[in-house]
Amino acid sequence: MMTRIPILKLRDCLIVSIQWELDDQTALAFQEDLLNRLHTTAARGVVIDLTPIDFIDSFIAKVLGDVINMSGLMGAKVVITGIQPAVAITLIELGIRLENVVTALDLEKGLEKLERELEA
Amino acid sequence: MNRLIARYIHENIDEILEKWKIKMEEEKDDRFFQVMSDQVIDHTAREFGELMISSLTEEKETYRGKLNEFSVQIVRFGWSVSFVLKTLSNFTEVIYENLEKAEYLNESNYKSYREILNNWLTPVTHSIVDAYSKVWEKTVSLQKIALQELSASLIPVFEKISVMPLVGTIDTERAKLIMENLLQGVVKHRAEVVLLDITGVPVVDTMVAHHIIQAADAVRLVGAKCMLVGIRPEIAQTIVTLGINLNDFTTTSTLQRGVEQALALTNRAIVEVNS
Amino acid sequence: MNLRSSVDIISEWDIVAARQLGRNEAKDIGFGTVDQARITTAISELARNIYLYAGKGNIEIKQITESKLKGLLVIASDSGPGIPDVRKVMEDGYTTSGGLGAGLPGVKRLMDDFKIETVVGEGTTISATKWLR
Repeated sequence: MMTRIPILKLRDCLIVSIQWELDDQTALAFQEDLLNRLHTTAARGVVIDLTPIDFIDSFIAKVLGDVINMSGLMGAKVVITGIQPAVAITLIELGIRLENVVTALDLEKGLEKLERELEA
Repeated sequence: MNRLIARYIHENIDEILEKWKIKMEEEKDDRFFQVMSDQVIDHTAREFGELMISSLTEEKETYRGKLNEFSVQIVRFGWSVSFVLKTLSNFTEVIYENLEKAEYLNESNYKSYREILNNWLTPVTHSIVDAYSKVWEKTVSLQKIALQELSASLIPVFEKISVMPLVGTIDTERAKLIMENLLQGVVKHRAEVVLLDITGVPVVDTMVAHHIIQAADAVRLVGAKCMLVGIRPEIAQTIVTLGINLNDFTTTSTLQRGVEQALALTNRAIVEVNS
Repeated sequence: MNLRSSVDIISEWDIVAARQLGRNEAKDIGFGTVDQARITTAISELARNIYLYAGKGNIEIKQITESKLKGLLVIASDSGPGIPDVRKVMEDGYTTSGGLGAGLPGVKRLMDDFKIETVVGEGTTISATKWLR
């Protein structure tokens, strides 16, 4: 039962809103879908919003990290938004710092940040 | 033999008391007499004598009840525990000396007398120490709660800019609470820059630095930038000496500077208005 | 409200089932959102380890009480190859799966009590407890 995560296009950017808990297969499918979408649209920015997510384990963190690196290779900047306090604390305690990841509080601020980064 | 001792104490309590007071003075514990009124001293010493009699003659349960009451009462006086134990053992010594003088003791029975008195003193000591520890533990846990109530809150000083003043020592448990408060505040205030003010943190060692760095990492994940302000000269020295790496942080010495930088980061500045 | 429940870990989907179970139990006892996240994540890590290294195992989740403290006990057991060098595995940064290496030290930090029992060739049992503050 693999659900595919919807990816929306807004001008030059792709917007992904992750609405439910990610199982391993869905996460990997998402990675593939996003990269394909980047290819077909030549979008320069991606915002991935994780507001409804209440936990992220090391596997999902790795997939996210990979997505960011892969998107970078394809010429797109990624901003992760909406990481909840509980999730942030858990990730830090697990030892996952996600140092090179650009973050923002929510979708709106994420888009603003992307626009600033892309203009630079 | 127990009854003998009990009766002796009962009949000679006044003499015992006098000798005991002299012994206390000899030991140069005259603050004892300064702190407590003669009446209280007398009364307590007599109670102690009664307690001895009770242990020698009454049912174990009854004695235990009286011992408990006595211990709780003593703790309330607020004397140091070592002092209390000294006075108790002095009291016992006096009784032993007196029994010797009154020629109750001879070669065959002095060992048993000694044993009875020791067997008596030891549980009393335990009971007193126990009563003291209970009070100490209660105090510590109350202080712990009071400390936690000192919890820091995030203050939204400007739109997009919030400040959290940290005060006091930060142990692991407090650090967790602080981190939760901090993050929830960031989300609630929609802050883009957070200023952690450590002016009120007396010691920054590797453990505290670790907690601060963790908190800052978490803030970054949630989507805001974290700045460290209020770094006093001593703290700066300690941090460098200990080899703590805060290079990923933006730091300033005062909150004022920090706010100015935060404003700049969010494309704002404070300007004077011409009247 | 179950007092104890268990999930056999055989497929990737069982990892999801284990964390669902953990999340529900944690909510049940009354853990706050942060601790719920910690417990769910810890269980996910433990279940994933079983799936990756032992191929097959079991996650058991128990509500326990000890001297008036309520807590959640997670027992991850498998009959896999066992851990030859426990100390190394508990070192931060050590990883064999090429992942982010969160691993067991991370689980230890998320939970309050943590214990590993392992015999090479026979299997591993990891017990971790989170206490309700």
